[in-house]
Amino acid sequence: MKQRALSLSKTLLLSHNSKGLPAIRCISTKEAIDRRHHLFDLEKKRQLENIGRIEKIEVNYKGVPNDCTLIMNKDISTPYDCARHLGEWHTESSALALLDGTVYWDMHRPLTENCTLELQRFNIAEPQQVNKAFWRTCSLVLGACATVAFKDSVPVHLHSFPGPDIRSGSFIYDIDLPTLPDWKPTPQELHTLSAEYVQLCRKQLPIERLDVSQELALEMFVDNQHKAKQIPSIAKATGKVSLYKVDKFVDISKGPLISNTAQIGRVAVTSVHALTGSPDSEVKKLYRFQGVALPTGVILNHFAFSILTERAKKLNSARSPINPFADQSNPAHESIAARA
Amino acid sequence: MNQADISKIVSKLRIKVPPEHRRLRGPQGPEGRLNKLRKTVTGLIKYERIELNYRRGDEARQYAERLISEAISHGDCHKPTMEIADYWLLEKQLVHKLFKVLVPRYENYNTAFTKMYKAPQTYYGRNIDKAVLELRGNPYPSLTNKQSNNRLLLQNVLLDAAKYDYRQAKYAEMADKMSKTEELQTKLDNNPESKPSESS
Repeated sequence: MKQRALSLSKTLLLSHNSKGLPAIRCISTKEAIDRRHHLFDLEKKRQLENIGRIEKIEVNYKGVPNDCTLIMNKDISTPYDCARHLGEWHTESSALALLDGTVYWDMHRPLTENCTLELQRFNIAEPQQVNKAFWRTCSLVLGACATVAFKDSVPVHLHSFPGPDIRSGSFIYDIDLPTLPDWKPTPQELHTLSAEYVQLCRKQLPIERLDVSQELALEMFVDNQHKAKQIPSIAKATGKVSLYKVDKFVDISKGPLISNTAQIGRVAVTSVHALTGSPDSEVKKLYRFQGVALPTGVILNHFAFSILTERAKKLNSARSPINPFADQSNPAHESIAARA
Repeated sequence: MNQADISKIVSKLRIKVPPEHRRLRGPQGPEGRLNKLRKTVTGLIKYERIELNYRRGDEARQYAERLISEAISHGDCHKPTMEIADYWLLEKQLVHKLFKVLVPRYENYNTAFTKMYKAPQTYYGRNIDKAVLELRGNPYPSLTNKQSNNRLLLQNVLLDAAKYDYRQAKYAEMADKMSKTEELQTKLDNNPESKPSESS
């Protein structure tokens, strides 16, 4: 498999994308995942080797049990490594790092300069950013589950997920399933998707981050036309694309994300809705996968959770990527509510 | 039948009191037990939060509760109450604290005046249950990190949003119903033509 992926990437490099594209598009979902994973690992190794001489930085930790100063390796040590110096509880419960009191940083992203470090858990006094990171992670993992869950005969092309909106009640992934024109999932199928999700969470996988150049990102997502189209606009500002890896699954996200899939506790994939594109868009149909989740350690009554899942079954009114101007929320309904 | 109402004689405590007291054995017998408990009660009133063995803490808690409730119900001009306070508080300045600080603090409480937590045991020590005993309303930071009322927690954000949605749906339903009844009313008003002229 590895060799095949290597040879594929080689042919791709040789043919400068133009000739390689149709050949690559034919590979199955699983092979595409393996190939992307392999390229991710290679790039990570390359970036590590590029660091050269190891320099030290001072990290001032603030928080329990006491404030202290840690001497870490520049561009190698992550906030997670700092947490490992402090104790197991910190590594398990911290979801996000806060640098210098302003910058939110992934737990598995190397530190680049001297800074103060605070570790953020889900039950701190002001958890807005942690919640957003959690919701974003849930969307990303939902994409990973959906790609794994279908049979090989069903190609799965991930499209995108919108920014986290917790008050909407559900996290989303918009996915293109070209061979299923009108699919309505049975409750059994939704259960299977949820089970897949739980399995992935139980593997306790760290969520790794890597910033790559636009060319490499395009090469990694050459089999996915939607992502390939999005990459130039993503890379416009900085020339870099931030990738995240869960297990073998690699996806694009702005970040930051939480530290580990073990921090996703109770979860349910609640519904799949079809989105129809506007007449002038290229993509005619997308499926919007929706779910709801809580962090590990949150104890919620089953009745309260059932309310949340019922609500998450309704179509999330986030903007549709293929039909941005369609008004999905019912305007008549809202005006009535405003009057009352 | 002719028994007196017990609750009027003895103040009713808001904690669970076991039917038998603990003996807290020692060389001095029952007197030694009471001396231990007097020390603990004094310490509790003085420091407001103490860590100690669970058995002794639980026993002393009952006496402390009783002392405070007596002080609240009789005040500082009641001789027997003053004698009780004098017996249980080894440092006499604490008698003033009891009547001038704790009685005003606890007058309107509906709960017990003390709170007890189980504390962690030392890892390689003897297997003895530890506890933290504290007076409620003390000035120290809280021992537990219970934040279920924090509206910003993820589960609370989700539940609040669900509540808001439910309310909006209900309002819409009510508005619908009202508009329907209004329509019916106008129809009824229009059909018999004599009525609207009278009302106007």
